[in-house]
Amino acid sequence: MKPLTVLGIETSCDDTAAAIVQEAALGDRILSNVVMSQERLHAAFGGVVPEIAARAHAEKLDHAVEAALDEAGLGLPDIDAIAVTAGPGLIGGVLSGVMLAKGLAAGSGRPLVGVNHLAGHALTPRLTDDLAYPYLMLLVSGGHCQFLIVRGPDAFQRLGGTIDDAPGEAFDKTARVLGLSQPGGPAIEREAGQGDPNRFSLPRPLLDREGCDLSFSGLKTAAIREIERLTAAQGGLTEADRADLAASFQSAVTDVLAEKSRRALEAYIAEAPRQPVLAVAGGVAANETIRSALRSVAEAAGARFVAPPLALCTDNGAMIAWAGIELLHAGHLSDMTLAARPRWPLDTGQAPLLGSGKKGAKA
Amino acid sequence: MRSDPTILGFDTSAAHCAAALLQGDAVYGERVVEMARGQGEALMPLLEETLGARGLRLSDLDALAVGIGPGNFTGIRIGVSAARGLGLALGIPAIGVSMFDVMAFRTMGDSVLVSLPAPRNEVYVQPFRRGRPAGEARVIDLDAPPKDLQMSFGMFIVGHRAGELARAFEASSLDAALEDIPRRLCLIAAQRLSEASSFPRPAPLYIRPADAAPSRVAAPKIIG
Repeated sequence: MKPLTVLGIETSCDDTAAAIVQEAALGDRILSNVVMSQERLHAAFGGVVPEIAARAHAEKLDHAVEAALDEAGLGLPDIDAIAVTAGPGLIGGVLSGVMLAKGLAAGSGRPLVGVNHLAGHALTPRLTDDLAYPYLMLLVSGGHCQFLIVRGPDAFQRLGGTIDDAPGEAFDKTARVLGLSQPGGPAIEREAGQGDPNRFSLPRPLLDREGCDLSFSGLKTAAIREIERLTAAQGGLTEADRADLAASFQSAVTDVLAEKSRRALEAYIAEAPRQPVLAVAGGVAANETIRSALRSVAEAAGARFVAPPLALCTDNGAMIAWAGIELLHAGHLSDMTLAARPRWPLDTGQAPLLGSGKKGAKA
Repeated sequence: MRSDPTILGFDTSAAHCAAALLQGDAVYGERVVEMARGQGEALMPLLEETLGARGLRLSDLDALAVGIGPGNFTGIRIGVSAARGLGLALGIPAIGVSMFDVMAFRTMGDSVLVSLPAPRNEVYVQPFRRGRPAGEARVIDLDAPPKDLQMSFGMFIVGHRAGELARAFEASSLDAALEDIPRRLCLIAAQRLSEASSFPRPAPLYIRPADAAPSRVAAPKIIG
């Protein structure tokens, strides 16, 4: 098969993204990677509002696709296939992406391939570093947190994941109660840089339990309790209090992720992979404190640590295009009945961690 | 533009998937498939069938016509997104047509207020003069219709609960439901194609703002 050039479309949260990726040597693969952020639209609401996100995707995505083609210097006839995130995510946005992709595919006569958003993240280290299977992946973002052994483009084994909030969500919520800006990750990281991580003793949920499952919602609640205690005692928070709380919160998240990563590495290395690797993806992986803790854990376990550049850690179209390439080579194709799915666990062989009932497992 | 354009019209702005094909001066294969969900899966196969029945392909089309609402937000986006994708790939205009235009189709009165169903006890309305929109679309409470909607020169209200609405105005009325949507989409688009050569991309007509409340989390007081 000749090397493929694929358009990737991603609209599962608050980034309207399109990219062109070709099969080529490392460094020459991404021809364009357009991300139109909706951050400004959601700022006043303290979180992503699904209907606002869906409205923006529906009117911006075709512009993002045109920009991606322009930047790559290509037209649709030069594209071999169209890959689109078909879930999981906010359904309004996913649906807009899937329908635009179907229109593009039908109109251009090119094949369509539906991609799991999480697979896009999980396969990114192959796009950026040509990792060999199997590798251990920590996917840690605003919507997700799980450890996966990645064995192939459609073969993922989940070792554990969050049973409540994702860490990115905890960062956002804690930033909000501290009166810091959104998104909370970078805001807390900046504030934490001036604080004492040991001043407040916040909980490390589930560390006392075996396995790789995680929990973050209690951490946010504990931070709120400290704020209430300080406010009752002294009428508010000093700048130092706020910095110390941010640092203590970040430190607790780091400890939990590091310890659970150590356990996940243990399980993965027990399989005796030839070149053990811990890779990370997701916006939370941009946090320097967390990143360096994960690097130490990986090195201690004798594994290489791989973190794609930030622009490829957060949501983007290039990862979807790449996952599309891998899926096409594995023989996957979608037809015009491709469905947008709000929930779509990567590893369906496991008992659900989150969600059940009519809507099915969330993770 | 050719004088007898081939236009594919489709709509998913309510609980249906609807399509029709205009070829020459005739409309073919008009279908309205009722469905509460699954329009995203059903739409493209329906379009392929509609074309296939006439032995045509997408590349034979001169334009697309798509319903932009008002109606179900998700449904509107399904149609509009598909139309934008098809329009971009085929290099042909995708023409957005509102349900007000569909309801007002061939209603040539001087002063027509078009009324469409909205959730709860409300209706979407838009004034038309001689078959053209003559003001903003808005959502109004049926129990308290705003007085400024009164039109001069023999106001006529047509559409959803028109008779009820007419009691608040000096107006005649006709209760009517949306019908014939895909055929009218095609004919309205053909009319526009004969009048203009470029078209804005189809955009959803929501009328209602997105349901969203500003964050209620209060920032802590920072003391010196």
